[in-house]
Amino acid sequence: MHLLASLFPNDRFGLLGLIIALPLLGAIVNGIWGRRLGRQAVTAMALTVMGLAFSAALVTFLHLREVAHEAGHGSHVRLAWTAWEWFHTAGGRSAHNIPIDLRFSVDQLSGIMMLVITGIGFLIHLYSSSYMADDASFSRFFAYLNLFVTSMLILVLGDNLVVLFIGWEGVGLCSYLLIGFWFGKLENAAAGRKAFIANRIGDFGLIIGMFLIAQYTGALDWDGIARNAQQLLAPSAAARVHLWPVGGGVYQGFWSFLQPAHPLTISAATAASLALFLGCTGKSAQLPLYVWLPDAMAGPTPVSALIHAATMVTAGVYLICRLNFVFVLSPFAMTVIAVVGALTALFAATIALVQNDVKKVLAYSTVSQLGFMFLGVGVGAFTAGFFHVFTHAFFKACLFLGAGSVIHSMHAHIHDDVASQDMRNMGGLKKYMPVTFATFAVSTLAIIGTPLTSGFFSKDEILFKAFTSPAVHPFAEKLAQRGLGVWKQPTWIGPTLYVIGVIAATMTAFYMCRALFLTFFGEFKGWEIGEAKHDHAHGHDDHGHGHDDHGHHGPAPAPHESPWQMTLPLVVLAFGALFGGWLNAAPFHFEPLGEWLEPVFERSVKLGVEVVGGEEHAHHLMWPLAGGGIAAFAVGSAIAYWMYIAQKGEPAKKIAESNKALHQLLLDKWRVDEFYGATVLGVTEATAETCAAVDQGIVDGLLARATAATVAAGGFVLRAMHTGLFHVQGAAMVLGIAGFGWFFIAPHADVAVNELSGTYTVQAAPGIGYAYRWDADGDGKFDSDRFGDQRVLAVSVEQGKTKQVRLEVKNVFGLTGTTSVTVGTEAKKGATVVGLR
Amino acid sequence: MIPVEHYIALSAVLFVIGAIGFLVRRNIVLMLLGIEIMLNAVNLALVAFNRMRPEAHTGQMLSFFLIAAEAAELSIGLALILAFYRLKKTVRIDDANLLRH
Repeated sequence: MHLLASLFPNDRFGLLGLIIALPLLGAIVNGIWGRRLGRQAVTAMALTVMGLAFSAALVTFLHLREVAHEAGHGSHVRLAWTAWEWFHTAGGRSAHNIPIDLRFSVDQLSGIMMLVITGIGFLIHLYSSSYMADDASFSRFFAYLNLFVTSMLILVLGDNLVVLFIGWEGVGLCSYLLIGFWFGKLENAAAGRKAFIANRIGDFGLIIGMFLIAQYTGALDWDGIARNAQQLLAPSAAARVHLWPVGGGVYQGFWSFLQPAHPLTISAATAASLALFLGCTGKSAQLPLYVWLPDAMAGPTPVSALIHAATMVTAGVYLICRLNFVFVLSPFAMTVIAVVGALTALFAATIALVQNDVKKVLAYSTVSQLGFMFLGVGVGAFTAGFFHVFTHAFFKACLFLGAGSVIHSMHAHIHDDVASQDMRNMGGLKKYMPVTFATFAVSTLAIIGTPLTSGFFSKDEILFKAFTSPAVHPFAEKLAQRGLGVWKQPTWIGPTLYVIGVIAATMTAFYMCRALFLTFFGEFKGWEIGEAKHDHAHGHDDHGHGHDDHGHHGPAPAPHESPWQMTLPLVVLAFGALFGGWLNAAPFHFEPLGEWLEPVFERSVKLGVEVVGGEEHAHHLMWPLAGGGIAAFAVGSAIAYWMYIAQKGEPAKKIAESNKALHQLLLDKWRVDEFYGATVLGVTEATAETCAAVDQGIVDGLLARATAATVAAGGFVLRAMHTGLFHVQGAAMVLGIAGFGWFFIAPHADVAVNELSGTYTVQAAPGIGYAYRWDADGDGKFDSDRFGDQRVLAVSVEQGKTKQVRLEVKNVFGLTGTTSVTVGTEAKKGATVVGLR
Repeated sequence: MIPVEHYIALSAVLFVIGAIGFLVRRNIVLMLLGIEIMLNAVNLALVAFNRMRPEAHTGQMLSFFLIAAEAAELSIGLALILAFYRLKKTVRIDDANLLRH
């Protein structure tokens, strides 16, 4: 540790660069030479870089702990490393010089994210080495996966918003590449595009938020933003963000009816927070942009586990935790976040109730759990929200990998992508896949909030805080003294959020238990399907007769347990899912994670979070409120047990029969995709078609085709002259030369008249060997018999009169030419001539 | 001494002879000769005009340059004629119609 401290001082902590560079190295090597290296070398490369990155992250984390310990309790520490100074930009309301460096830093918050990314990332790489073993694009998969880890690390370790944005876009790109990994199937490619476009809408918000923060705080790095965050609340009308009239202008004349009596303004803090939150809804799949995440399950299952459950989708929660000092300045934005989170949790849970595809259930469950996280950070419980990120990473990664293990084994049996993910074809798998079953069951217990598992602690903390701690305006009193009102969160919101959370948690318990029971309990229902497929395959697979290795021809081979590369990560993750909660067991007053993160959130929580009735009162509510979570777990899982174990699925069928319309609506995911298709996509397509019509009609027709036709007509005429007869062309040349000769031999008498404040000058055009004589007084006779070299003649004309000036030109051949010009302007009728001569 | 005008007249006559030869002949070699006659008419005119400014030698200098340029032009012209002959087995200008529309 001393060696480490001497090698890497706190502000030049180059080990961070190594953590990021290692996966990047893997991505480059596997991406460029992967095909030639062969599978074993690719696996070795990918696993080695991930393992080393995890080790380096672990060392960094331990060192960070030591530094934090030395700095004393409650101090926010940061190890930073500047790769290079990138660029500066001048801007902001006080014209700050904003340095934007490629700088990375790790503090208490990003340290944990870093460990999760590299640790779970390593496990999923290990899992993939077996899961993807038979895939043709083995090396491409690992190149993308390594690139994703690099981008995610850049996102988390970036020390300013711009570097974070690089990572933010990088993970979006890798997500797109990996969702459409099997791009041969059209749906997969479409799902990738959908994810990318939905994220693009969010990224727009993130960029706007970034601009606002740079404008108001004059900084983009975390320390700078934190230092100047209060600038976002500058109360003067000019410093607020004007929504209407847009940009603070004034509507005049015809448009004056649009001018409101009072301009509609919001504080810059609210504007920036909402813009950033729009970015979060895209990346973290919240209402209204969540639609891409369920479709993202088109990618390989390890991708779903790593990107679309454990790491990338939590980037939005991380961003809010990171910029907590901005968000707490706007109780309105905080309330919006909490409400959107709660509604997403509930909404996604309802869809998950009836889905039959095991990955779809898990996908909606992820959306729902992300909603819980946003509910947490939205009520100012940053630690709780982030803790849920942490625990969710374990149990959801484990669930996805478990589902992958099941699908892997089902696929070997059924050979059909859709059927092998359908839970109706599974059942009874606990007999064939004991390790997968055990880990899946443990993770299910965790996610449904079984007391003392990780999900219990994190979810209960969120629900507890939602009930007790509304967001308040940090400077409400000060502003009230100056006669300025602030938005106050209504008191009914906290309990409402709690109730919505409990309902969503109940549904979680139900649908997760349903998935567990349908998959692993009862009888295996895949025999018939497997057999049918098997026979069908025989029709065009005659050489299959020869191999009796499987020992039987009739039924397909029984499902089997996955190899150790797949089960080991499951066991590790299940362990985390089971015991991870004890890092922050609030009901038992054992909160190492809370203490660890306290310096990051302390100030914000003090400023912007009120506890109803004080800490003491809230404390008494802790166990009663936890009762709601426990009840949700008990009720949800009991109903699922009764429906799917005790009654063998009969009640579920009956309910579906009696509420056909509702059941179908839920199966169709509330038809949100169809709604978006009719509204957003419809408008976009109509616009595109209009543009296409204009392009094809006006641009192509008038501009391009008409021009082409003109040129073609000209060409048709000119073509007649190109006879190819040399003598015709020679004669044309001679004629041309003769024409030029005539031009030079003939004299050209041209004049130009200039007027400058009443005096006129007549200028003759120049020519080779030209001599001139003038008739300046207009008497019809030339002033001189001889030709001279006077080329410019000044003429004085009385106002309102005109004069005739003549010029004769003689060239070297003795030929002459004449011209005449009228100088001066005639007086207009009735106009008085004023002034002196 | 022969006056300048006579040289100029001779030059003009030569130039017209060359031009007519260039225009009416069908044989490329003879057309080339027409060009040469025109160029030499120009040379003659240049040298003759130089007599009007005896202190300067610009006309004679220019005619030397022209003679050098003529030599180069002629060699390229002959090479083209050879190449054309190899291609078409003729030196009639009417057969040089590959670029005709």
